[in-house]
Amino acid sequence: MTQPSPSWLVPVVFIALGIGGSGRLALGEERGDRPPVDFATQVRPLLSDRCFQCHGPDEGSREADLRLDLRSSATEDRGGYAAVLPHEAAESELVFRIAADDPDERMPPVESGLSLDAEEIALLSRWIDEGAAYAGHWAFERPERAAPPAVGDEGWPRDSLDRFILAELEAAQVLPAQPADRATLLRRVSLDLTGLPPTLAELDAFEVDTAPDAYERVVDRLLASTAHAERLAADWLDVARYADTFGYQSDVNMNVWPWRDWVLDAFEENLPYDDFVTQQLAGDLIPDATRDTRLATTFNRLHRQTNEGGSVEEEFRVEYVSDRVETMAAAFLGLTMGCARCHDHKFDSFTQREFYSFSSFFDDIDESGLYSHFTGSVPTPALDLPTQAQERELAELEEAVVAAEQALAGFDVLPRRGVPAAGRFSFEPEAVTANAVEGGPAAVLVDAPVAVEGSRGQGLRLSGENAVAFPGLGDFHRSDPFSIGLWLNMPAFERAVVIHRTKSWTDSGSRGYQLLVEEGRLVVALVHFWPGDAIAIRTRETFPTGEWHHVAFTYDGSSRASGLHLYLDGEPAECEVVRDHLTRTIRGGSIGNLAIGSRFRDKGYKDGLVDEVTLHGRELCAEEAAVLAKEGVVEGGAPDPAADAAGETLRAARARRDVLRDRIRQIMTMAEAPDLPAARRTAHLLHRGVYSERRDPVEPGMPDCLPTLGFETPRDRLDLARWITHPDHPLTARVQVDRLWRTVFSVGLLPRPEDIGSQSPPPRHRALIDTLARDFIESGWDCRALLRRLVLSATYRQASVASEGAIAADPDNELFSRARRGRRPAEMIRDGALHAAGLLASTRGGPSVFPYEPPGLWQQKCGKRYPTGRGDSLRRRSLYTFWKRTSPPPAMALFDVPAREVCAVARPSTVSPLQVLTLWNDPQFVEAAVRVAASAVEATSDDAGRIEHLMRALTSHAPTEREARELGALLTAQREAYRSDVDAARTLAAFDLERFVHGEATPTDGADLSEEDAVERAATAVVASALLGLDATLTRR
Amino acid sequence: MTEHERALALQGHLRTLGRRSLLRGAGLGLASLALGRIARGDEGEQAQGLHHAPRARRVVHLFQSGGPSQLELFDHKPLLQERNGEELPDSVRRGQRLTGMSGNQASLPLAGAQFQFARHGESGAWMSELVPHTAAIADDLCIVRTVVTEAINHDPAATFLLTGSQIAGRPSMGAWLSYGLGTMNGDLPVFCVLVTKGKGGQPLYKRLWGSGFLSARHQGVQLRAGPDPVLYLNDPPGLDRATRRRMLDALREMHEDDAQRSGDVAPLDRIAQAELAFRLQSSVPEVADLSDEPDATFELYGEDARNPGTYAANCVLARRLIERDVRFVQLFHRGWDQHGSLPGAIRTQCRETDRASAALVTDLKRRGLLDDTLVVWGGEFGRTCYCQGKLTPTNYGRDHHPRCASVWMAGGGVRAGSVYGETDEFGYNIVRDPVHVHDLHATILHLLGVDHERLVHRHQGRRFRLTDVHGEVVEALVG
Repeated sequence: MTQPSPSWLVPVVFIALGIGGSGRLALGEERGDRPPVDFATQVRPLLSDRCFQCHGPDEGSREADLRLDLRSSATEDRGGYAAVLPHEAAESELVFRIAADDPDERMPPVESGLSLDAEEIALLSRWIDEGAAYAGHWAFERPERAAPPAVGDEGWPRDSLDRFILAELEAAQVLPAQPADRATLLRRVSLDLTGLPPTLAELDAFEVDTAPDAYERVVDRLLASTAHAERLAADWLDVARYADTFGYQSDVNMNVWPWRDWVLDAFEENLPYDDFVTQQLAGDLIPDATRDTRLATTFNRLHRQTNEGGSVEEEFRVEYVSDRVETMAAAFLGLTMGCARCHDHKFDSFTQREFYSFSSFFDDIDESGLYSHFTGSVPTPALDLPTQAQERELAELEEAVVAAEQALAGFDVLPRRGVPAAGRFSFEPEAVTANAVEGGPAAVLVDAPVAVEGSRGQGLRLSGENAVAFPGLGDFHRSDPFSIGLWLNMPAFERAVVIHRTKSWTDSGSRGYQLLVEEGRLVVALVHFWPGDAIAIRTRETFPTGEWHHVAFTYDGSSRASGLHLYLDGEPAECEVVRDHLTRTIRGGSIGNLAIGSRFRDKGYKDGLVDEVTLHGRELCAEEAAVLAKEGVVEGGAPDPAADAAGETLRAARARRDVLRDRIRQIMTMAEAPDLPAARRTAHLLHRGVYSERRDPVEPGMPDCLPTLGFETPRDRLDLARWITHPDHPLTARVQVDRLWRTVFSVGLLPRPEDIGSQSPPPRHRALIDTLARDFIESGWDCRALLRRLVLSATYRQASVASEGAIAADPDNELFSRARRGRRPAEMIRDGALHAAGLLASTRGGPSVFPYEPPGLWQQKCGKRYPTGRGDSLRRRSLYTFWKRTSPPPAMALFDVPAREVCAVARPSTVSPLQVLTLWNDPQFVEAAVRVAASAVEATSDDAGRIEHLMRALTSHAPTEREARELGALLTAQREAYRSDVDAARTLAAFDLERFVHGEATPTDGADLSEEDAVERAATAVVASALLGLDATLTRR
Repeated sequence: MTEHERALALQGHLRTLGRRSLLRGAGLGLASLALGRIARGDEGEQAQGLHHAPRARRVVHLFQSGGPSQLELFDHKPLLQERNGEELPDSVRRGQRLTGMSGNQASLPLAGAQFQFARHGESGAWMSELVPHTAAIADDLCIVRTVVTEAINHDPAATFLLTGSQIAGRPSMGAWLSYGLGTMNGDLPVFCVLVTKGKGGQPLYKRLWGSGFLSARHQGVQLRAGPDPVLYLNDPPGLDRATRRRMLDALREMHEDDAQRSGDVAPLDRIAQAELAFRLQSSVPEVADLSDEPDATFELYGEDARNPGTYAANCVLARRLIERDVRFVQLFHRGWDQHGSLPGAIRTQCRETDRASAALVTDLKRRGLLDDTLVVWGGEFGRTCYCQGKLTPTNYGRDHHPRCASVWMAGGGVRAGSVYGETDEFGYNIVRDPVHVHDLHATILHLLGVDHERLVHRHQGRRFRLTDVHGEVVEALVG
């Protein structure tokens, strides 16, 4: 057996904190003029790491009522002593405890596994002796512009930002790297800004364009391209945890690509960043909200959702709201809020209450914690996205409905005809299920309801599991007026299903109409998707128990709550509106029969009695409802043919409108819940983050550690967005500047982009990021202008090869003494290969596509077939690849694209053998190799020329002598090999992705190629395949 | 050549390049290169060795997806048979939550198992007639009847069991082990995933064997039945092994040249990974090909094992991987979610899994591998003692039950021939010795020589662990 390789287990004490600490202290002592200890950079990170666990903001785990994050608590007189006595380290309990030899006295306690070393203890002592000054965390203070420092080499800087970099380099006595050569620079900037390498023509043109502004013109061309928007969008999809499916187990398509196209538009139009933030967080609430700004808010709905049977709706709704908070905080503020969901944040200054204050901003929509199990209803709130033609047509149809409503309003009687009256059931012993309406279908007793004495004659008692069903009756559209009456005698119910035509309980998001008992009150509802697309009314009084009463409800076909009426014993019942927003069909989703007594997974009408059920395909008027209660039958007076005709005209107009409405695409967005008492929610602090453990109610609000900027009592998401985008906000601009810096430099200015909370040390280039942040804000949050500045800088244009001196003085390249190297992200690797081979389709936007993935991956996880595309959709840019959360595109996952289940602001970058296999054998890369080789063969007959063609197409560089020699030898060897196996050469040379993935490739493919052609192409393809795995192809240089 | 030897060779090679300082300067120490595991970004936090002597060096996790019913298999409750059809007493349920699938039932009738139970082995462990082969190795098993989880639905519960958190985005157990313990065989993945082919049931998700916020290198590698056992393993049509070798040789020269010119070691790592990929192309088909197994293997695991992709075949494959020192092998077998028609369905599940699960333990034992290989069998939660849907004399179903589930372990330092924990007479609540999922994880890590509180990764300003901030090693499970 082999030895295990040394492990990477991490000891409890993190030595990597790397701040304050020994190096700096020792230096200072040598110089003898040491600067005072800095709280923010040296002390706070230390206290945070070792002490805040028990003496920090977290109330739940706080010991001895001592907070070391607050000066007031640390210096408080604790009966003759204080933890921190300013200027008196020797008298401070803190110093005594951290230096104690006695394990019982020592802090941090032995069992915590934490400790402080001698230098750290000395540092804390010195800080106290110097007065124990506290200062806020650097990142929570407004960024201020710094004057660009003076530099020795005035010739180097091209932008004031270069002065900040150069000054540091000069201080460290490092020379910046030489400027990158033209090919390297063009490749770098093309990939950084568009995600695509330069074409051979672009390389040639730039090589000979010696005008001083040649590079600037290239940059402007790139920034104006659609490819640039696509490149930026790809990154934003990670942040927004964009996916095409809901995630969790069923992982159904959620149809949110229109939001992805909104992001493309935003980047292509260079939407100012403050608008970009505001529209995504609160585009529904801004004063001039448009369909586009509402669409932007889909950002908040891209979290995972479940429809797993039996899930608790509220449990998952709370998950969704929390995800919105965590995503907002990470995306825009660079903060990790997730911990505060369950407890006070041990290290940052966020309390659990503050988490829920944030979350109450996102708690304001009329949503369900579960999406529909049986239908494709879009979870509410949902925004209609009609085409222009649909919009025009809809306006016309709406007009027709309004006209027909007005016409009918002119009559003082209700239409009598309508849809044929349907049923009257008395459940009498001689024919229990008989329908008294001539020719009407009979009822069906399911699982034997028991005959009992009824309201008149015989009635039925239900068990809660059985039912009286009415097959063939009650299949109403929302445009159909109808009425249902029945006698009920029931025990006290918290909840019971009385009569319904639906598939199941709302945990399945089912559609239909229903009469339920909730908290003892009758509720009538027509539902497309509960709660956001439904109408419902509820009686104010609880229903009397243990005695027979007649209940009737009527509906006028208007899709409005005002069109619903409830009658109790023939008298109108006083009702409140529960929901009043029905815009789509109430049918579909394998709906069952109209039935009394029970439904799938809901509480049935247990031990309830029923008798004398009537069903009318029209709206009964109040007088008729009274007659029905008294007589059991409505005879219907003399018909008014004109009113009937007007009624039918209205019904038909509504039906036509509804058919169109149902066809219009919808997408989940944010929209405030209706202002109805029944729809109002109060946010609560949830103990340990558990949905059912509600504690005190909370109001929207900002965390105490951040400035309120005038938003002392924020009301809604719009206030939140305005606070985030306030020019004085300490975090927003820094986070975005860092993101844009990272976009082009491939490493950020912040050490940890996902967390600039108090665990994060100040960045090395703080003056630079703060200055850029101010500039960015004052530019009107202009992202493109900043990107342009960055890539035009001298810092950016450096070569990535460093001198020995630079490596010695700046080993980790923290000073930007050279350009950063690193593997390109997954999208650039695939897109770059397709682009170099001339295969990449340029179609922009639209539904996500299904390029090649190995067969069976979906099948094995969920039994669904992956619908591999054809034509262009096999070769679109990677950001358009359909993202199934439970089975992400494997090649992208292997190259570190996050699973998109939660927000991710940065990706790891690894190298693995499985990546190599992908580059070698994924048919997409095989086709790219074959095609780029074919173009090389066509371009020239000379081996050296072909090799140069391939190298330049894939790496943007001509080969070095050694490379040319190696590749030449490979080409020669392959030519020999294929000459002796021409069939193999034909097979490879004729490789076609589409034919291959659809099983259409045949042994005769390539038969039309001459032997010579086949051998040349195949041998050259092998060289191309090798180059696809070359470090120079894959890495930023 | 072992990984270690290869690393030494690579170091020697670098030395001859004579540019050590330059290479160091590129931010990648030689030591990390020697591991074949380059530290970048957040993974820069590193350190030292096991925390204590390990009892287990490898793990096979036989994950039974859907939640097998403990009441039909390992947790014998005669009372349920006696009181079959009676209502679940409120005093037992105590208002604890149910799923929406049975929570609205008008009645919650107790359902007795319709299978015979008997005591087995010297330990006298109760097991049912459904698992005769498992029963026959009773004295190798450590049966835990009191595993507690927090989730009541499949997705959160499976995610919790396999990643230590219900929240998505965390590394899976195997990824943690890959991260913490590294490889013992550089020619095969550290963490292999085997899914039974063609089984319906609860969907599976990549996250269950994903690497979460750890690097993609630590994710489980699925070995699939069929011609392409690992994704993209096979060379394309018209390109053979000799060609690949020639390509690699050319790439090696070019990458070395590149490293020399740039002073960047990344090209050297890349060529090392390419060599590993080349080796995987032969080592994976070799391990996945069961044709060299003698008939005795199929007599032990059952004839099913001849059919690639079956659970039995995957058990044989697991043994082959373990023999080759793969660190963590995880099998996924779906179909245990028996809300209705439980008696028939569980019989099928057991027919598919019982013999091979037991055979794997027996086989590892015969080969002397069980001592330091831990085998774990179990699902994401247990099932209710009351019937979901209609209880008839021959048919019943059970809903999800997070409050107790049965799990068994074998080998790897667990206490063989023991039964741990006790549930009440109804099999509803635990009366003695609960083992929370976090405790189970802590114990598994402990057996591997790892202190679960010290296997940490810093992410988003926080130290993450497989066990979050919980978990206690259950010493009683350790032999």
